[in-house]
Amino acid sequence: MILRLAIGCLALLPVTARAEASRPDFTGVWAIYRGAPAPPAPGPLVLKPEYAKIYDAQRAAQAEATKRGEQLANASVQCVPYGVPNMMSVAVYPVEFIQSPRQLTIISEAFSEVRRVYLDRPQAPIDDVAPGYYGRSVGHWDGDALVIDTIGIKPTVAGYRGMPHSERMHITERLKLVAPDILHDQIMIEDPVVLEKPVTYTTSYKRSPNYEMVEFVCDNNREYVDEKGVVRMRVKDR
Amino acid sequence: MRAKLCAVILGGAIPMLAHHSFTMFDMTKKITVSGTVTSFEWTNPHCYIEIDVPDESGAVKHWSVEMGSPSILQGSGWKFSSLKKGDKATLVINPLKTGQAGGFLNTATLPDGRALGNGPGRQP
Repeated sequence: MILRLAIGCLALLPVTARAEASRPDFTGVWAIYRGAPAPPAPGPLVLKPEYAKIYDAQRAAQAEATKRGEQLANASVQCVPYGVPNMMSVAVYPVEFIQSPRQLTIISEAFSEVRRVYLDRPQAPIDDVAPGYYGRSVGHWDGDALVIDTIGIKPTVAGYRGMPHSERMHITERLKLVAPDILHDQIMIEDPVVLEKPVTYTTSYKRSPNYEMVEFVCDNNREYVDEKGVVRMRVKDR
Repeated sequence: MRAKLCAVILGGAIPMLAHHSFTMFDMTKKITVSGTVTSFEWTNPHCYIEIDVPDESGAVKHWSVEMGSPSILQGSGWKFSSLKKGDKATLVINPLKTGQAGGFLNTATLPDGRALGNGPGRQP
């Protein structure tokens, strides 16, 4: 009876309001999840030859360092935030979504990073967006999936799997509930300067209804990079 | 356990990132240090136990022991108040490869006898 009444009420709403009422609500805390339904395997990362050379050299240098038992510097060792898209996939750290009709706000626990996705607003021309860690994100609904378009990530922000990228990088995400409490973020990266073809991967999350986000201010970083570019830990004398 | 650590860092097919790898510590070696806590730092990107460790002759050596972050540690029973200055504790650690008096926590035995690990996947 209640269901019938609800369906009847929905039928009275204008079409746009009905669409809004049937949209999923991503609001809440989500933990990185490795269970079923598993997302598709990531696609291949194919860089243009000149960038593949740089990327391969960097990976070879890290592989050599690992063999020596060392880690080379990266931004996060120095407490520099991940930015987009890597902040969506940080090891064991959850993300929080706060959804309103006009904006989806995404907070990653690691480094307390914040993204704002403006809904149903046009994207700006890429040359009008100051390059940064989060760029400019707009979103629109495609059925029950939220499609997020991001531009304006500066090249010094570490890319997916450490790949190089240009200021022309364009990221398209599809956020979709694949089960009642399982959310997939399919992330497609295009970069006409660096990539031969777009690369796509998917991060999976599970809702954590009772989790309270922990603050993360990086004010006690004992790791430092020595003169050879190797990560070390500072010890105290007492 | 090492496999689990690697799984957290590498994450299989999904690109997972972490603050740093564990290559600076000798993950094949475990040593035990017992002494008096001089500070317990509930901070990011890592928590630390600073501890004075006396040897048989009574000489005291100071150790700095790295842990996970507060977010990671709370998953294995840690709280900001689990240790305080003056507490006696016994720590099993993977030492720094440099030979300096520092390491990565495996297990801490607290004054009340509880043994705590270093976050999910790193339980005692």
